[in-house]
Amino acid sequence: MSVLPWLVAAWLFGIGLYGIASSRSFIHLIGCLSVCQSSTYVLLLGIGYRWGAVAPVFYDHPPGTPAVDPVVQALVLTDIVVGATVTALLLAMALQVDRKYGELDPQKLRPLVAKARR
Amino acid sequence: MTPRLRIGLLGLAGLCLLPAIWKVAAALPPFGEPTAQYGPAVNRLGPELRHVSNMVSAVNFDFRGFDTLGEEFMLVCAVTGAAMLLRGARGEDLSARAGRVEGRAVIGRAESTILISRLFGPATLLFGLYMALHATVTPGGGFQGGVVIASGLLLTYLGEGYRGWRQLIGSRVLDAIEGGGALLFALAGFAPMAFGRAYMQNILPLGTFKDVFSGGLMLVENAGVALAVTGGFAMLFLEFMEETRALESESGG
Amino acid sequence: MNWPLDLVPLPVAIPLAVAAAMLAVSHFLPTRLPDVLATLTALAVAAICTVLARQSQLHGVLTYWFGGWAPRPGVVLGIGFGVDPASAGFAAFIGLLFAAILVFAWGYFDETHAHFHVLMLLFLAAMVGFCLTRDLFNLFVWFEVMSVAAFALTAYQLEMPSLAGALNFTVTNSLASFMMLGGVGLVYARAGVLDFQALGHAVARDGPDPVTTGAFCLLAAALMIKAAILPFHFWLSDAHAVAPSPVSVIFSGAMVGLGLFALAKLAFQVFAGSAEVHALTHGLLMALGAATAVVGGLMTRAQRHLKRMLAFSTITHLGIMLTGLAALSATGLAGLFAYLVGHGLVKGALFMLVGVLLAERASVDELGLYGLGRGLAPAGAAMALGGLLLGGAPWGVLDAGTRLVADAGSSAAGRWVAGAVVFGTALTGATVLRATGRIFLGLGPEPDPEEAASPSQEEQEKADRPLWLMLAPCLLLLALALTPGDLAKRFAAESVGPFAPVLAGSTAALAHTGRATMLSWMSVALAVAVAAFDLGRAHLPRPLLAAVDALSRPLFLVLGELHSGLVGDYVVWIAVGLACFSIYLAFG
Repeated sequence: MSVLPWLVAAWLFGIGLYGIASSRSFIHLIGCLSVCQSSTYVLLLGIGYRWGAVAPVFYDHPPGTPAVDPVVQALVLTDIVVGATVTALLLAMALQVDRKYGELDPQKLRPLVAKARR
Repeated sequence: MTPRLRIGLLGLAGLCLLPAIWKVAAALPPFGEPTAQYGPAVNRLGPELRHVSNMVSAVNFDFRGFDTLGEEFMLVCAVTGAAMLLRGARGEDLSARAGRVEGRAVIGRAESTILISRLFGPATLLFGLYMALHATVTPGGGFQGGVVIASGLLLTYLGEGYRGWRQLIGSRVLDAIEGGGALLFALAGFAPMAFGRAYMQNILPLGTFKDVFSGGLMLVENAGVALAVTGGFAMLFLEFMEETRALESESGG
Repeated sequence: MNWPLDLVPLPVAIPLAVAAAMLAVSHFLPTRLPDVLATLTALAVAAICTVLARQSQLHGVLTYWFGGWAPRPGVVLGIGFGVDPASAGFAAFIGLLFAAILVFAWGYFDETHAHFHVLMLLFLAAMVGFCLTRDLFNLFVWFEVMSVAAFALTAYQLEMPSLAGALNFTVTNSLASFMMLGGVGLVYARAGVLDFQALGHAVARDGPDPVTTGAFCLLAAALMIKAAILPFHFWLSDAHAVAPSPVSVIFSGAMVGLGLFALAKLAFQVFAGSAEVHALTHGLLMALGAATAVVGGLMTRAQRHLKRMLAFSTITHLGIMLTGLAALSATGLAGLFAYLVGHGLVKGALFMLVGVLLAERASVDELGLYGLGRGLAPAGAAMALGGLLLGGAPWGVLDAGTRLVADAGSSAAGRWVAGAVVFGTALTGATVLRATGRIFLGLGPEPDPEEAASPSQEEQEKADRPLWLMLAPCLLLLALALTPGDLAKRFAAESVGPFAPVLAGSTAALAHTGRATMLSWMSVALAVAVAAFDLGRAHLPRPLLAAVDALSRPLFLVLGELHSGLVGDYVVWIAVGLACFSIYLAFG
């Protein structure tokens, strides 16, 4: 039980990688990237959790009540918002690819024909 | 590599990593019994040093405010990049006016949709504003509040229709809000330096514990973040919506 | 008030504020104002960082605590910046590089209403913050800002190759960010603090620990993705090939080098007390660095697209730099510093020259440009000089770095490291010299029309900028690269102590290193020989050609297949790389 969150985080990262490697659509790939990102959230928030503690907001509880770690929560909070915008950037790129070439399959998208000189 | 080879190699790599993952997982402090001292120190010192009750906001805007400045600008980068990509393809100056789709019938919106959107849109905007303002007191803050306000704008779109919505917000205004919010945050950091203190040091009066106006400089930074996040997300919604309006390209697949 | 500490936040805060202001009024700015503002900001950053470097040389490492959160007994609550000569010096170099690029790109990005300049300034701020910080999560934040700004800048040209390259870049580097965050989380779970110095004490105190080692593996893998080390290097050639020239200069000149710079900081300041990390670095990273140098050199030779050629050359040199780092000695570290700056200057100049060719001759294909460089003599001379410097010519900063790195690698792991260094150096120099000969002198067999048709998308960059405006920054960078090697070596040697306190005792040994000029002349000779071989194929005896081709053709075929351009493959290689760490720790 006490290692479950860490294993879940590892599993999420792994399955996200599998999704990216086998993906046939860029939209799906971007979703898999989000899955990889959520593995870091699980890891960080799991590290901060404390049994029987309250949220680190001392409005209803007096200061001094055992609370979970606010530092990792702060780290994750900003990261979630930023993750959403990076996903938007990726989606904008995918949109442009589809618009120009009607093709969204990552297994057919190559930057350059890497033709060797010999 | 063929797909099969690729997945095979990935599986092999995963197998090699399993023992390492298990070893690390077993060596970590058990779930629910953390040993880190940073968090408890903040919980202990935050209320008395900064008169705020939301420790997460205290970390975000005071203890580690410089990190949040970086994250803020990361958001600006991503939004600017996405907008540059989408606008660049359509033509830079066209987003001042709402786009149109030729030859497509305008689907009427149901009365119930309009009613609910008009009720809940402003309510969501208000709620987002509440969340953003009470950053230092209750769970919430500029990031969360900004996203909720932007979602309220989406509800407004449902209620007013595309043309009406575009009359409310223009991309230049959003650029200004986003840039202005980020600038406010950066300048809030400079202000203490004028008084000989460190960058982003909290020099404003700290207010009373559990009051909305507690936290000093945190409130200014929070306002900057709320503005920038609202502007950024609204800009993203606008640009993506405009994409649905642009004419289909001739060449296709 | 508080000189010079008050200067410390400025190199990061000023570009951020200027970028935000430009964004806010982007639609109302007159056309040339963003160029001017951005260039002035970059110069200001370079100037401030130079002052900081000098001050830290005189008074020791400067420490600045943001928000006034100086450490309390037992806990470090705030984020700090640690300014030592190496970090501030590298930040000054970055500022200068940005100023040169902004002059080079004057008028290039007019249609974006200052958005390009906003992104460039944010990129600059992130890189400077990355250099100066002493907080692990702050390092991660600047790493991400750097990455996101780079993603947006790479996709600028909107044609299919750009988008595919940008997508590969974004996916692989985002995975790097996630791994780095995972590493930060693991470190935090064990040590409970995020400041480098406090972490160093904690790691040294706690002894061998799977969590710490696992954290280092994740952090190192993330930084090696950024630094394009085998097997994480695939994204760089794609991104470089499609990014606009000004942006490519920054990528090769500074961004990828920063990955290794941060890895050095972690290895020497945070994880110095861990024997397992020491062994891992010494063994696995040394091997990966050498492998990168060899594979990169071979791939460079096979390219005809100039930007891709230079990208693989960067990968080669990054591998060489990693061998210097992996030696974990004062010599290696000093070599890393000198090499970072020297390589950045030369590679930046070469990318600018490719930009000149694109603007003036509308092509970036070596065969397509056959003989077309004839009217551009200064560019040709500069490119030849760049090729010689890359090939190991014994002049300037890059050579000082190469000697120190080769020495450090040989002392740490054996002569074969120096061999890999010479191999990589010679091949990259040879390829650039070959391209120079073909383009500017019309040497080599005339390509038949079919061959000359470029396999890549037709490319063009804005052609109406004056030639001198593009050449001037390029020649400035080359001139700086020719700074006497002894000067560079002295500065690098002095910077080692403040950067890596664990090495403070061994800097005296640096005085008489620098393997004889013999090594440099050997690699230059090899470079010229290989270039001559390629250009003079028509005049060589058939059996010789057949023998060489029989050996090399299958090799290049396999390598070319592996560099497929598909993001799925790249991701699998990242997983394989991580598995290498695991296997080495189990059996190494």
